[in-house]
Amino acid sequence: MTRTYISHHPLDGLLPLEPGIRAVDHLDVPRAVAIASVMAMEGEEASVTAGLAASGDISVRFAGPGEWLALSRSETPDSLERALSLLLAETAYVFEQSDGRVVFRLSGPNVRRILAKGIATDLHPGSFEIGTSSNVLCGHIGVNLARTGENEFELIAMRSFAVALFDDLRVMGREFDLSAGFSTLG
Amino acid sequence: MTAYRLASGGLVDRNAPLDFRFDGRNLAGFSGDTLASALLASDQLLVGRSFKYHRPRGIVTAGPSEPNALVTIGKGANSDPNTKATVAELYSGLDARSQNRFPSLKYDVGAVNGLLSPFLGAGFYYKTFMWPAAFWEKVYEPIIRKAAGLGRAVLERDPQSYEKCWAHCDLLVVGSGPAGLMAALTAGRAGLRVILADEDFRLGGSLLGETVRIDGVYAPDFAETALSELRSLPNVTMMPRTTVFGWYDDNVFGAVERVQKHVALPQAKLPVERLWRIVAKRALLASGAEERPLVFGGNDKPGVMMVGAMRTYANRFGVAAGKSVAIFTNGSAGYRTAADLVAHGVDIAAIIDSRADVSEVAPDGVRVIRSASVIDTKGRQRVSGAVVERSGFEQTIACDAIGMSGGWNPVIHLACQRGAKAVWSEDLKTFLAPDVGNGLVVAGAAAGRYSLAGCLQDGADKAAMIVADLGFSASAHTAPVVDGEIDPSFTALWYSPGAKAKAFVDFQNDVHVKDIGLALREGFGHVEHAKRYTTNGMATDQGKLSGINATGLLAAMQGISPADVGTTTFRPFYTPVAFGAMAGTSRDEHAAPVRKSPLHGWAQRNGAVFVDSGLWYRPAYFTQHGEKTWRESADREVLNIRENVGLCDVSTLGKIEIFGPDAAEFLNRLYCNPFLKLPVGKARYGLMLREDGMVYDDGTTSRLSPEHFVMTTTTALAVGVMSHMEYCAQVHWPDLKVRFCSSTDQWAQMAIAGPKARLVMQALVEDDVSDAAFPFLAAGIVTLKGGVKARLFRISFSGELAYELAVPAGLGDAVADAIMEEGRAHGICAYGVEALNVLRIEKGHVTHAEFDGRVTPDDAGFGRMVSAQKPDFIGKRLSTRYGLTAADRMQMVGLKPVEADQHIRAGAHLLREGAKPSTLNDQGYVSSACFSPTLGHAIALAFLKSGRERYGERIVVWDKLAGAEVVAEVCNPVFVDPGNAKLNS
Repeated sequence: MTRTYISHHPLDGLLPLEPGIRAVDHLDVPRAVAIASVMAMEGEEASVTAGLAASGDISVRFAGPGEWLALSRSETPDSLERALSLLLAETAYVFEQSDGRVVFRLSGPNVRRILAKGIATDLHPGSFEIGTSSNVLCGHIGVNLARTGENEFELIAMRSFAVALFDDLRVMGREFDLSAGFSTLG
Repeated sequence: MTAYRLASGGLVDRNAPLDFRFDGRNLAGFSGDTLASALLASDQLLVGRSFKYHRPRGIVTAGPSEPNALVTIGKGANSDPNTKATVAELYSGLDARSQNRFPSLKYDVGAVNGLLSPFLGAGFYYKTFMWPAAFWEKVYEPIIRKAAGLGRAVLERDPQSYEKCWAHCDLLVVGSGPAGLMAALTAGRAGLRVILADEDFRLGGSLLGETVRIDGVYAPDFAETALSELRSLPNVTMMPRTTVFGWYDDNVFGAVERVQKHVALPQAKLPVERLWRIVAKRALLASGAEERPLVFGGNDKPGVMMVGAMRTYANRFGVAAGKSVAIFTNGSAGYRTAADLVAHGVDIAAIIDSRADVSEVAPDGVRVIRSASVIDTKGRQRVSGAVVERSGFEQTIACDAIGMSGGWNPVIHLACQRGAKAVWSEDLKTFLAPDVGNGLVVAGAAAGRYSLAGCLQDGADKAAMIVADLGFSASAHTAPVVDGEIDPSFTALWYSPGAKAKAFVDFQNDVHVKDIGLALREGFGHVEHAKRYTTNGMATDQGKLSGINATGLLAAMQGISPADVGTTTFRPFYTPVAFGAMAGTSRDEHAAPVRKSPLHGWAQRNGAVFVDSGLWYRPAYFTQHGEKTWRESADREVLNIRENVGLCDVSTLGKIEIFGPDAAEFLNRLYCNPFLKLPVGKARYGLMLREDGMVYDDGTTSRLSPEHFVMTTTTALAVGVMSHMEYCAQVHWPDLKVRFCSSTDQWAQMAIAGPKARLVMQALVEDDVSDAAFPFLAAGIVTLKGGVKARLFRISFSGELAYELAVPAGLGDAVADAIMEEGRAHGICAYGVEALNVLRIEKGHVTHAEFDGRVTPDDAGFGRMVSAQKPDFIGKRLSTRYGLTAADRMQMVGLKPVEADQHIRAGAHLLREGAKPSTLNDQGYVSSACFSPTLGHAIALAFLKSGRERYGERIVVWDKLAGAEVVAEVCNPVFVDPGNAKLNS
């Protein structure tokens, strides 16, 4: 018997299916983002960096020396893994992690003040520019934090922590009436 | 009436009256008042009872050093005990109660302690309540605690919310008085990221109570102009109501912001208090100076107050401390206050000056008595006169308030919190901050610059240095001009001689001069000993007023310099911080994050009862058909797996992907057993040791391709093993070409165990899973019918024919549902960690209950797995120590009770039959125990001396905790299927 398996997001049931009223500060949760761990082979850090930079719509997050998370909204998990494996065939190991990671996108004028309630890193634009990413603690939870815009940050958390982090972000954003919803883009 | 609201003046808003209650009385104040200023305006001089003698006490200060005016604000669970009335911002509906009195503040039976005071000197408790020894904890201490004390903590749950926050800046300025304001302006104009924090609800510090003109305008207006410029600078953050309480490593400062302490109905979306951790490149401490009390007879009566406080109440709050005020001073401050009070129309009864030569000029018509001292005060619950002594002659001066001024102590607590001690200044007769490097610079009165012009200049200059230091350029500035500056000099006076009543050093702890003398005589003269012996400088104010006087007294009594006595140790917190603020949002279920398996929803739908397992919630058992106890459910699950099949969530086990040409060599060195030649498509059980030869963790590792392995760890040590691997790869063997990452969260992993497991798997998987095609310990990628790629491992913890299936986490729920559906015909059940535990004990499989850090591979029966051929692996060297190879080590065995209905509990110890329980006679211990539904009786795994030679022997299982002794037979720890026929079926 052939079966069809439907994928679940860990925040299913916690976020409304329909987009609600969006506050100025908003937490956007994309349902599906292709994510892969990229680990440079010995001595290949520079060429992997260059290869990833040239990869077009794949966004790259620093995750440790010689280690990155590669994200794509347009690729499927499989196609991302294939594309990266081809691109970095002799220079890096690629492991697809799309189900293991959950992306949270915070945006709005108060986003730095919200994040300061959990993250010890200085997020002043002079210290943490657009395009910067780093592994940091948000409260008790380890996340990969990236600045994706002047007032926009993405947090990538391990799937098992998604509900706990979501709870924390909501408490952190309470002061600014932070709204939350699944991304309308996908 | 004595204390009263002046007809005009002050920074309170007389158009905004506020109602509040004190001890049930309805009173009124104005917006801008503190509770203390509003109480004074209502002539409520008596506000508390002292700690030990229950003496009536009044307001002494106008700030955070207040020792006496401690009240409880709020009711029930919202009570805030020990709140200083002098810093509590008044709001409409504030409800305050006095503390440490019964039945009322005015008539307090505890005051009898005052009559007994000759017997209640320092150290009295310890000398008197010595015997019988057992009485101390049970009788004496509870009674003493009840009689003495401050506010009471409430035991109800705190309904208020708190949070914690981080902030970063180039310069943190602590204090918004003249020095702080100028520093913030200088740095802010230069473009630094500045945080200006002040504990007061209104910024401006001492300028708010100042009457002089700066640059031609009144001091409060000067402050307001500076503040509005600071507000206009986007790089400056103003933090009023924020106490910087601690200085920590890496120039991180702790601060607590009272966000909603001043409102009757807090908004739900805001915390009541917020704890800040401020990471500052540089900090400037502009915390000002504290006025030093004078130690004279009767100095603790309500109505005796610091002259600086009187001045603040008059100038800032428009409140006179009395109608006729006597001032006892040793310096110019007393004259300055006298002049301001006269200007407000308050009568000055006299200025009593301890000095002979005085350059200050008293206001017209005010009598000055030089070379004199106050030796006693009149009145009971409020002061009615001062007994003044001069050249042997006494006179009583009628007055309704006494101002005292003993000089200045810079507020240097923060600078001394990281180990450096305060330094005595002979010039200033006080302690100054030590040089603590350029991370924290002290400016203004906190640095001993007491003149207003000096403070303004010092703040600007020191900030300019910091600006330059950080690579910014400061714009030139001209120092503000101060009109009517007063010389802040004083002559140190540690003790006013000839006291005819108790002369208090520490008001809060009822320590008077004689107590200090007693401490010295009894050998507790070291300043730290004296503090503990007398309690001087303890409790909520931590000696802010009393500390330096105690040092001065200890020095004077010994004829040495205060420099040789020193101060007690300054530690965080500068003022008390609520536990709630320190906990922030991390309370209840937020105390630790919850990790949820991708199969959490599936487990919930199937009736799981969850158990905390580290951060994870794991299904303990699945309730069915009205089962009432966990045992009923777990027994059913176990039997069903032994007969049919079961599904268990094992997603929580750690999973690590390992890549690289040296991955096999890396594993070979991590594990004590060989991994170099593990074939592709195979799983192997691995045992990881610590350097000391004890077992660290275990799990299976599979080779998916020549250069790709996937390791599983236990749930408990997943993070630990990952860190261990990072350490080994980076430090021990950086030459190995290996990379790895955690994939724990990528997979939903399910164990399908039982004789019918294959029937279920084959229905789901396209690939052939027959024993021939996929034998025990096979591992590989399979495709589920429908096209999903999955990982399949033929491994078993239960001892049954078993598989572990891993699918991308998002599909976990759906695949688990499908397995249950396919398995229904074969009697499948979901099982939890309780059944899992029983199954593995029956099979003699180990967990961290066995591997508790004291167990070698050989102890657990894995001796032959340890590779002697490998050149090296973690733990190899120390495994050969004599103690780890001794013949009488405890070895893992099985136990079964001789009488089948007896129970065995984990933690019980083993004794030879007839032996007395003693450490010497200890033969071992039970590590895991359960009821085996398969066998119908209790079984256990235990560690027993030379255990493997002792199968068949009877041993006593001695369980003192449970009060039970059971005779058991030692046996092979594998109770079920010792020949492994099921595994290979």
